Formats: sequence, structure tokens, C-alpha cells
Amino acid sequence: MRDKTGAIAIAVICVIVGIMLSVQYRTSESYGTNLRTSRVEDLAMANTSLTKENQDLRDEILELREKLANVNIESELTANLQGELRKSNMAAGLTAVIGPGIIVTLNDNPQALQPGDDPNAYLVHDRDILNIVNEIKASGAEAISVNDQRITAMSEVRCAGTTILVNWNKIGPPFVIKAIGNQQLLESGLTIKGGKLEELNTFGLQTQLTRSDNIEIPAYTGAIKFQYTTAKQK
Amino acid sequence: MWWITLLCLALGLFIGNHMPIFLPPSMVKYVSIAVLAALDSVMGGIRAYMEDAFDTTIFITGFFTNSLLAAALAYFGDKLGLELYLAAVVVFGARLFQNMGIIRRYLLKKH
Repeated sequence: MRDKTGAIAIAVICVIVGIMLSVQYRTSESYGTNLRTSRVEDLAMANTSLTKENQDLRDEILELREKLANVNIESELTANLQGELRKSNMAAGLTAVIGPGIIVTLNDNPQALQPGDDPNAYLVHDRDILNIVNEIKASGAEAISVNDQRITAMSEVRCAGTTILVNWNKIGPPFVIKAIGNQQLLESGLTIKGGKLEELNTFGLQTQLTRSDNIEIPAYTGAIKFQYTTAKQK
Repeated sequence: MWWITLLCLALGLFIGNHMPIFLPPSMVKYVSIAVLAALDSVMGGIRAYMEDAFDTTIFITGFFTNSLLAAALAYFGDKLGLELYLAAVVVFGARLFQNMGIIRRYLLKKH
């Protein structure tokens, strides 16, 4: 008798398990993939293809801007306009520029972390980069880039976990800040007593400042959108 | 005994295949853990049946508590950011193989 109830119980449970299995199977099928196992690989693949697409689009932006600047000059009026456009593009950071200036390289403290020390004191932070960029601007820089990200009027320098975002691009150490401008002014602005570089050096961070007569600063490759802003009509 | 289980499993698969039920995507992973626990319970039940130590109450309660506990473990693991479902996968997976081995031995002895 016990055997019979046992067999019935197993039979009923087997039916339930069968239903669960097939519903589960159909559900995973209908969502395309098994969420758990394929997630990482899928995301990695999507990331790779999107990164490539992103790069292609950036190249296209640069190409189109180049084309726009080199439209055939037909009259004096368009020539003037084109000159204006070139200047505006340079101010907005939309064209690559070259000129004399300085290169500042910042890197984390190479010493091993001592017990009890705050690891934050060994790292270059977004604040440090922001301070230096600000100092360079105050010294009259005409174009600035951080790790080949052009600093525009809308550029941010912001901490994002273990990396720093500039123009929504992740950058990591060593941080190379390039600036075009009066070399003497730029250099003295940073190396002045009590200045930013001295402050970073006292923390043990590695800083290096070199002059160069041929600094190349790339164009801003992101999109420029004005969603809320319109020009005021005079 | 064997053909009853297989037949019922097939019947369940058939019913499930024709039921217009879909799980919400957020539930899929919890149900998959619950299914694993349920399979383990069934294997354990068959094994106990062959050892003549089968108890219907233990089997039924074990089935439901194991499934619910496994699903709950996975759920709270997700909430805590801890992959607790791995505990269920490892335990039930290992037990599944163990039970299967014992069942196989009984079947081989019988024939």
C-alpha cells in the first residue's frame, strides 16, 4: 500500500517537474538566450562591435568637418565665411591644431602602499587634472587636450570609479596634458612656488613638464547637440 | 517504476508545452534553480523508493521546500549582490549525480 501512494506521489511530482521544465525551456527560448550563461560573452561582443562602430562614426565626423571646411571657394563672400568658420571651429575645438606649448605628464605614486596609508593619496584624481587644466587656461592656453581628448567648452573631467572621464571617454594614468600657448607663461603658471605641480609632488605623485615646439592637439570627435539652446535673435 | 516516471515526465513536458504560460524574464533564473532542486528531489525520491525507505510526506515536503528555498536563495543572493545561487547549483548538482549513481547501481543489481 505504501508503495502505491509513493508511486503516485512520484508520478505527480514528475508531471509537475515536466511542466516546469518545458515552461522554463519555452521561456528561455522565447527570450532568445539563456540569460545567465551567455550574458558576459554577449555583452563583450556587443561592446566590441559598438566600440568599432563608434570609432567609425568619429572618423566620419572628422572627415565631414574637413569637407565642410574645404568647400570650393567661389567668391569673396564665401571665402570670408570660410575663414570665420575655420576660426570658430578652432575655438570650439572642432579642428586639430598644432603649435608650440607644453606637455605635462602625471602618474600615480610608484611606491608600494604602506600599511595604514590612504590609497587615495597615491593616485592622480580628477581634481588634480581639473586644477592643472584650469591653471593652464588661466595662463592663456589656446588649445588643451588630456590623453588626446580635446578640452572644449562642454568637456568634463570627472571621476568614474577607477578611471576618469573626459568627453565621456575613459582615460587612465599616465595622464598627458598638452597645451598650446606661450610656453614661458604656461610653464611658470604650473611651476610657481606653492603651485599645482609642487602640491602634487609633495604627495609623491610623478609629474613631468616638457616644452615642445610642435604640439599636436586632436579635434573633438564627439557630437555637438543643442537640445535646449537656440541663438537669441537680435 | 521507471517507465511510470518517464511517462509522467513526458506527460508533464507535453502539458507544459501546450500551456499558454510564459514566465517574466526576471523570474527565469529563479525558476531554473527551482527546477534543478525539483529534479534533485525526484532523483532522491526514486532512490529512496528503491531502497524501500520511501516516505511520501518527506518526499512531498522535500520537493516543495527544496524548490522554494533554492529560488529564494537565488533571489536574496541577487538582492545582496552575492551569487548565492551557486550554493544551490553545487549542492543539488552534486546530489543529482550521487543519487543517479545509486539508482544505476540498484538497476544493475536487479537485472
